Amino acid sequence: MSSTRLLRNKENLILFGALSIRPGSAAFGRFLLSVAVLLYVVWQPVHSAIADESTGGYVEAPITEGDRDHWAFRPLVRLDPPEHRFSQWRINEIDDFIAAELQNSGLVPQSAAPKRTLVRRLFLDVTGLPPTSAQIDSFLLDSSPDAWPELVRNVLADKGYGERWAQHWLDLARFAETDGFEHDKVRPEAWWYRDWVIDAFNADMPYDEFIAQQLAGDEMYPGDKVAATATQFCLSGPDMPDINLLEERRHTVLNELTTTIGEAILGLQVGCAQCHDHKYDPISQADFYRLRAVFAPSLKLQKNKSLTSLQETVPWKKSAHVMIRGDFRRPGPEVLPAAIRVVALDSDLHLAPRKATAGYRTAFVQWLMNNAQSLTARVIVNRIWQHHFGAGIVDTPNDFGIMGALPSNQHLLDWLAVRLVESGWRLKSLHELILNSASYRQASYRTSSADSSEDEVWQRSLSKDPHARLLSRYPRWRLEGEAIRDSMLMASGQLNRRAGGPGVRPPLPKELVDTLLKKQWVVTEDESEHYRRSIYVFARRNLRYPIFEAFDRPAANASCAQRSTSTTAPQALYLLNSEFTLTTSRKLARDVLQQSDKQNQLIDTVFLRILGRPPTSQETEHVIEFLRRQQQFTSSKVDALTHLCLSLFNTSEFIFVD
Amino acid sequence: MSWRAFLAGADLRCRLSQIAEASIRYSATGTLRSGVIMQSLDLSSRRTFLARAGGGAGMLAYTALCGAEESAFVSHAKPRARRVIWLFMHGGPSHVDLFDPKPVLTKYAGQPLPESFGNVMTRRNVARNPLMAPIRRFRPRGNSGLEISEFLPHLASHADDLCVVRSLHGDSVNHPQSVYQMNTGSILMGNPSVGSWVAYGLGTENRNMPAFVVLPDPGGGLKGGPPAWGSGYLPATYQGVTMRAGKSPILDLQPQMGVNTRQQQEDLSLIRFLNERHQRLRDMDDQLDARVRAYELAFRMQAAAPNLVDTSNESKETLRTYGIDDPRTQEFGHRCLLARRMVERGVRFVQLYSGNTNGWDAHADVDQNHTEHCLKTDKPAAGLLTDLKQRGLLEDTLVIWCGEFGRMPMSEQGKGRDHNPWGFCGWLAGAGIPGGRAYGATDDIGLRAAVDRVSINDFHATILHLMGIDHEALTYFHNGLDKRLTGPDEAHVVDEIIA
Repeated sequence: MSSTRLLRNKENLILFGALSIRPGSAAFGRFLLSVAVLLYVVWQPVHSAIADESTGGYVEAPITEGDRDHWAFRPLVRLDPPEHRFSQWRINEIDDFIAAELQNSGLVPQSAAPKRTLVRRLFLDVTGLPPTSAQIDSFLLDSSPDAWPELVRNVLADKGYGERWAQHWLDLARFAETDGFEHDKVRPEAWWYRDWVIDAFNADMPYDEFIAQQLAGDEMYPGDKVAATATQFCLSGPDMPDINLLEERRHTVLNELTTTIGEAILGLQVGCAQCHDHKYDPISQADFYRLRAVFAPSLKLQKNKSLTSLQETVPWKKSAHVMIRGDFRRPGPEVLPAAIRVVALDSDLHLAPRKATAGYRTAFVQWLMNNAQSLTARVIVNRIWQHHFGAGIVDTPNDFGIMGALPSNQHLLDWLAVRLVESGWRLKSLHELILNSASYRQASYRTSSADSSEDEVWQRSLSKDPHARLLSRYPRWRLEGEAIRDSMLMASGQLNRRAGGPGVRPPLPKELVDTLLKKQWVVTEDESEHYRRSIYVFARRNLRYPIFEAFDRPAANASCAQRSTSTTAPQALYLLNSEFTLTTSRKLARDVLQQSDKQNQLIDTVFLRILGRPPTSQETEHVIEFLRRQQQFTSSKVDALTHLCLSLFNTSEFIFVD
Repeated sequence: MSWRAFLAGADLRCRLSQIAEASIRYSATGTLRSGVIMQSLDLSSRRTFLARAGGGAGMLAYTALCGAEESAFVSHAKPRARRVIWLFMHGGPSHVDLFDPKPVLTKYAGQPLPESFGNVMTRRNVARNPLMAPIRRFRPRGNSGLEISEFLPHLASHADDLCVVRSLHGDSVNHPQSVYQMNTGSILMGNPSVGSWVAYGLGTENRNMPAFVVLPDPGGGLKGGPPAWGSGYLPATYQGVTMRAGKSPILDLQPQMGVNTRQQQEDLSLIRFLNERHQRLRDMDDQLDARVRAYELAFRMQAAAPNLVDTSNESKETLRTYGIDDPRTQEFGHRCLLARRMVERGVRFVQLYSGNTNGWDAHADVDQNHTEHCLKTDKPAAGLLTDLKQRGLLEDTLVIWCGEFGRMPMSEQGKGRDHNPWGFCGWLAGAGIPGGRAYGATDDIGLRAAVDRVSINDFHATILHLMGIDHEALTYFHNGLDKRLTGPDEAHVVDEIIA
């Protein structure tokens, strides 16, 4: 790099950067980042990069003290919760960390949201389903101080919890039930893994065990089919079984699984190091291929056969190599299986070979849970937090490296991580702590009864904490496509809560079926199956189910830590015009009409079933007028009421959670 | 300095150059207020920030949907191409039989590939098969004398408009990987397609229509499927919206049977009433606002899209130009006409696929396969060029023709040819590109790109450049990196193509 060029740019940065970047703006953040990177570049120790024929020109840079000093690699620090002036408000330690930050920023936390809002938030967040009218009423009527903690316990015990949180994990596992690519063939055993994940969440399987089985279930529990199923995690990505060269396929699959493990479990972009050393993080190409070597003996490939679970070949006689420029035809220096160096002082694997296994993966799991414990725990705590609050404490959940975001509250992150490890890696106790906090129970919008001082607090929250990252209020979030569909099925009384089993295929519009190869979407015969929860809808890699696709379900081609939440016209078109919305609305209308035919009662029931609240008097008036107008076009009461249901399914209130 | 540090510096340069560019604009005009600079800087940072923050993504989506906004990615003041029509010949048309004349191949037909060509990776082990002569005769065409085969008499009459790139090369002998590479720059699934990048970079010009529309072959079965026009890690807003000819061009565009428009207007008015109240109580939240607007757009699309696909007002003359009066060319001709109607109405990026599951994949018999597919597409594609020209649209519309790869000089099963990603053709027309030319060359038999090689990344960089976008500046922050269409390695705009 020419130093004059750098210098010139540096001048630009200083001259014009100051001129045009506003402190506190996003641009300012990027500016600071640029300065940090610049400093990093200038002061980074100079590594030798002399080409060497025998190593294919590859020389690995050592890990420096400075590399290890990155916040995510440092040991967990357990700090006592800080002091603050919101002792009246706080409920548990989480609130102390949040409150202290708010106080530092001149902000004030919000008091609890109305009970009706809270119960809807809790159910949708934990189970992905809205509460029933009876569940709402029983919580509203329960005035005991334990009402909320008890509700939290009950909701976490519902099997809906596993059915919702499994999807968060399946996004990370880039799970689909087909191969992708040209033939997109079905993987008939894929749903076993999906059910395994659901069951693991529901049984509150400790996180260390959860990971252990997914990486090494077959090694640790020889002959246990269930544990072996868990290793499908490693092989859930896209694959082309009919590719010409098996060697190329092996290379691609191994690189893909190594990348996914790096992202999903370590929160590191390890995959960036497959062609050359990571651009920013101290992760070398050799690091990548060492980690890959942990898994290489366990990938059995057969031409034209889809991937299933890991299966170790013992003894494994092939050596592992750095692949020059990531090219499968260019093996470079040999490497031995090991973990990522920068994460922990000891990255060697301590093998305990047994008859059927050399024990690489078991040793790697032990490294993850012991040597790399700080990072492993921080990453999962951050994910749990992220799904409860819409954003993680670290805003880049799959990148805890140098280019990732800094934690918005590192003390809190560390405190929670320590708690998780101490609790024996129990996720439900972490959920419980979060859900019981005052931070979680805050209002997301100002109630109309707010007085002027509350009003001022609110305005400050909006202006100083625009995205509610500091949690000066609860951040509103949009339901995922899966939860929208499930909520609609539930409101209309059609939801079939049968659990587990092969993926179901509800009917698809003809236009979509036409884009597929023949017989790629054979509709499930038993119609009652069409109303199963969304997690049980067959996950074809090359064709996402329309409502899921419209609402940002990720393509299962790479680990996805955070879905985007776009707002698009096709979403509106789907909710307005799809056959699903119309038939669901009609079903609900019929259902409601069977119970009563008094107009006001009908309106009340429809509001309660869809929005979980009765209408205001102004709304009732408006809706009566709406029904009268609808009846100009149709003589049928069902039709008019169907349009009311359809309209309510289209409201922002239905799609968003306060 | 270490490799890592060097690259970090390189990336920093890109970022700094954006700042520098804004400052240059400032000093050049003198009168611009710093607020303007803020705006342009903020656009790129805001997009990235919002995309990362998630919370404000609604706003991001809204601007993509509704606004022809000033782009942060435009590198020069006057883009040569304002829109793109991409004719994608799925299956792999044979360059040596269409646009890349190889007399040497005729000469050595029937003999095995000379040793000097070394090992050749092929999909179906055809490396030792005898060479096969081009199926049809090539002739010099137009004033330029550009050689085109007799398979394509209609396109041949446009020879003087075409710049044939004869030295394209890709990385995979398989269909889906190559379809992905031609569309996304990577042979792996799940990256944003060129159209998505353009939609992300430039937004839409038509407030009633998406920026990126795909017209798939009605036979379906594209190898690799919809991820070919997917938005990858870009927000879903930017993915290609598939449209069809006929009454229902977009999925769920119209209400279900039995629901009339006035009923729906009542619904929409109730939805608006409830949403506005909901939003008012929630501090006019951006994301909620975006939703209100998405409904408005959906409603406008319901009106605009049918009009877009309604060709009843087109003259007989026009229909004939596209071959819509002939059952053999009617289908593709109709889609070409729709493409013109779309770009005319401000859709930025239209992609048409020719070929169902098998398409141009002439393993068994090139003559039979290409006779059929050329017949279906030759006249319509030529008609599109004629029509665009007549309407003055060709000047700033870029037309691209290519497949995911070409075909081998060796034969397969006697009369067919296997996939060839190592060297193949595509052509560009319009956008002020001088025609009647070939750029680059394959070796003597058309096996590998040999002279002035153009990688798919270079090809993409060139397309973006024509649209006024610097491919290095068009980035999206994802998983800790500023990702771009042209990938992490070097890619170059091929200036000689644009010339």
